Amino acid sequence: MMKSLRKFIQIHRSIKQHATRFSAVVVVLLFGLFLEAYMHDFNLVYITLFFVFSLAFSAGPIGVLNLGNLETKFLKKGRFFAQVEGKITLQIYNNSTTTAWAITVHGKDASVPIKHIKAEKNMLVHLPYIPEKRGLFSYDGAYLESKYPLSTARLTKNISETYEDIAYPQPKGKSLHAFLNEVENHFGEEKEFDGLRAYDGSQKLSHIHWASVAKGDMAVKTFIKETESANLVFHFNSAGKGDESRLSQLCLWVLACEKERLAFEIQMPKRKLSSKKESIDEILEYLSKY
Amino acid sequence: MKFLNIFQNTNLTPLKLLDLAFIIVLLPLFLMLKVPMLVFVVMVLGIVFFTKKPAKTWLIILIFVLGIFALYLSLYGAFSFRGLSRLKLFLELLVYVLLIVVSMQRLTQQINIYLLLSPFLFLALSLFFFHGMLMLIYVIFEIFFLLWMILSHRMEGDIVESFRSSIVMFMYSLPWVVVLFIFFPRISFEHASYGFRGETVQRMGHDGTMFLDNKALLVPSDRIVMEVGFEKKVPPSNLLYFRGSILYIDNKDHWEPIPSFVKRKKQVLRKINVDTIEYKVTLYPTQKRWIYLLDVPVKPVKESKLDRDLISTVKHSIKEPMHYAATSALSSRFYDELDRYTLKVSSRVNPKHNPQTYAEAMKIKDLYPSIEKRAKEIIKFFKSKSLTYTLKPEPLDINHTTDSFLFDKRRGYCVHFASSFVTMARMTGIPSRIVTGYKGDVSNALNNYLAVKEKNAHAWAELYINQHWVRYETTSTASHIESQQQTDEDGESVKSTKNPLVKKVNLYLMYAKYQVETWILYYSNIRQKQLLQYAKDNPKFIFTFVVSLIFLVMISFLLISYFRRPTYSSEALAILQPLLQFLKKKGFVRKKSESLHQYFMHYVEENQEKIELTMIIKEIDKIYELIVYGNMNTKELLKGLKKLVKKFKKI
Repeated sequence: MMKSLRKFIQIHRSIKQHATRFSAVVVVLLFGLFLEAYMHDFNLVYITLFFVFSLAFSAGPIGVLNLGNLETKFLKKGRFFAQVEGKITLQIYNNSTTTAWAITVHGKDASVPIKHIKAEKNMLVHLPYIPEKRGLFSYDGAYLESKYPLSTARLTKNISETYEDIAYPQPKGKSLHAFLNEVENHFGEEKEFDGLRAYDGSQKLSHIHWASVAKGDMAVKTFIKETESANLVFHFNSAGKGDESRLSQLCLWVLACEKERLAFEIQMPKRKLSSKKESIDEILEYLSKY
Repeated sequence: MKFLNIFQNTNLTPLKLLDLAFIIVLLPLFLMLKVPMLVFVVMVLGIVFFTKKPAKTWLIILIFVLGIFALYLSLYGAFSFRGLSRLKLFLELLVYVLLIVVSMQRLTQQINIYLLLSPFLFLALSLFFFHGMLMLIYVIFEIFFLLWMILSHRMEGDIVESFRSSIVMFMYSLPWVVVLFIFFPRISFEHASYGFRGETVQRMGHDGTMFLDNKALLVPSDRIVMEVGFEKKVPPSNLLYFRGSILYIDNKDHWEPIPSFVKRKKQVLRKINVDTIEYKVTLYPTQKRWIYLLDVPVKPVKESKLDRDLISTVKHSIKEPMHYAATSALSSRFYDELDRYTLKVSSRVNPKHNPQTYAEAMKIKDLYPSIEKRAKEIIKFFKSKSLTYTLKPEPLDINHTTDSFLFDKRRGYCVHFASSFVTMARMTGIPSRIVTGYKGDVSNALNNYLAVKEKNAHAWAELYINQHWVRYETTSTASHIESQQQTDEDGESVKSTKNPLVKKVNLYLMYAKYQVETWILYYSNIRQKQLLQYAKDNPKFIFTFVVSLIFLVMISFLLISYFRRPTYSSEALAILQPLLQFLKKKGFVRKKSESLHQYFMHYVEENQEKIELTMIIKEIDKIYELIVYGNMNTKELLKGLKKLVKKFKKI
């Protein structure tokens, strides 16, 4: 009993209550009913009056318990780009044996309504957010809100955790396809098929002709011409005018290469970034922090 | 709760929820709506039901015009400033205006705050018109229903879950309502009255005149005329005489009171050496001015007049239930100094009307000089005549009623006995009169509660002996009592309730109704003070009260925990809950990502040394898998699962 009371007090402290227009309505209703009861001594009016009062009174703790048992945690999922809407993922866990009703998650720019979160269950909420500029950003001030049960009070619970992440440069500029048409040297592997021959163990595994293997023969493909072309290289200085537009252009190409699964290099003023050595996220992070 | 399963997939829109709320709050108001307004409301309901799109402007204007027209017709004739000053009419007008406005807004299909508030306004207004027992039950239902609808709206139309939440909230508030109701200071005006439509039924059984012919009032129905609550136990039947009117003048076929224009000497109330008794009466509409007090009333009841014959009357006829507290001394005699007129009128008798009776009376008069002796002899004489008490007597000879009753027919009921007794007493020289009223019957009593019915209407005689009026129960002189079927006021034959169990249950229901009316509907600051005083005087009562309150709180919490209990996707999962909670308590917490099977296996792995327990867990896991994934949801398996959970907890 004492434990539950202590828990309730603790929960109560984490919740803020704000009056709504319906609280004013309840006050007016109570006053009206009191006048009616006072003027005419109708016990039915007194009963209604006491019910309205008691229900409004009990709505407080019920609302507090509805919201107070929710635990929140930001999850890092997805990429953020400057000036592009991204989604911040918030995990809400209902640490109660009863369902939580009518919750709204308020973020910086938007709010997401949730009908209910079942007892002892998680729910993921995606809050839309547009980072203003590239680089590190933090997201705070989010809170949970509920008018459950009677709309007579707006209960809020702040999410104390601050979400921190990095926003990559806004991907914009010339498309990768246009870029490739402009550059003269081809890249990748240039091959001309000659025929098949038996596999003797010295050939590259990538040259194995799998269709023959399926038939029972171990054959490898041979090529007349087999030369490695130059790598796809992006130059920071020639990527655009001004640092921001260059970074945006590079970001766009990096994402396109990731999509096309192309290896690439970026020649930055002081460093060379290679997709073979660094992950895409590391490259993007370098660009965003440039 | 199973009845709610049909609503499992019902999600009502806010507009539909609002419509439901309106229907519920308007139902009692339908009883007071005048026909034109009723027609208007039915018409609007029809439009709302059949049109799915928001109404066009012309329709809304038409509804407004029709509404005003219906309002005009409904209140036609009552329109005047004088009429408007009457609160009831003003409230009726408010209801009508609100109905028109709500109809117009509802047809637009747009919910605004005014539309949301209207059900509460209708509820508050209906409380002005009805305040009976039925309304009490209905109001509590209305409050619950409105709460349900609000929660349904908040829970996006989920009827089942909102019902559970409403019960929880309702039960949370119930103990508060009880405490507030009892202790909230009542500092109000008088109880206002607007006339309750359901209470316009007139109670019969007593009239200012007493006929002896076929007009004789005989209403042996079970309708309750008044309910009496005594401070202590109900006194025995032979003391439960409720005085109505006093009849002095014999007009052959009927008896009348002394005309009101006659000025008589005031009664000098002398203290009666008998303990007084206090009681409270709820008198239902009789459309007469008499209020009934037990013999002998010692002081007038508030707002009533106690005349020199100790008859209580109010200014206007009683058209709605009346409540009064009274004090009486349970005596069959009281002192009175008769003025000349009263003496004359109470001695007046015409020997020619009943010569046979006169002859017998003269014999008694000559033989016994003492008035008391004469009275005793009259009783003896009556008893010797072998009279039969019957509710179906043969008609008497109107010109010689007493002779006809005593010497010829010998069958009659209270009025015939009382009339003949008084006539004969007067003939022997004893001033006497007839008293009409009610005689309570303890078979209609329970603890301190007594229900007085129409069939308890009675007439008896009062003889003036040694400066005292002495009550004589004249029907006790009957040698036979004829049992017969009772008839109600319409003459329809109604079998009397012979089954004692049914009678007892009926009495208990009436008692419960009376207690609810006394302690809830008519609870007042006086009762509040009485209760506090009683608590002061009886500390044991405080203990009982507190225990009752704790009991109520416990019941509320039991219901709350029942309705707050989580719902599970399957019965098997619900059966496993005690086990899961038990394991959690023991510190074996289930990981958020863990399935039940993984959780159980995890337990088995960690508790390999507890062979018996792990065996049970393995068995539980197996049965659970069979039920949930093997679609073997049989009663036997569920029973087995339950047993295993219990067994595990025991070990």
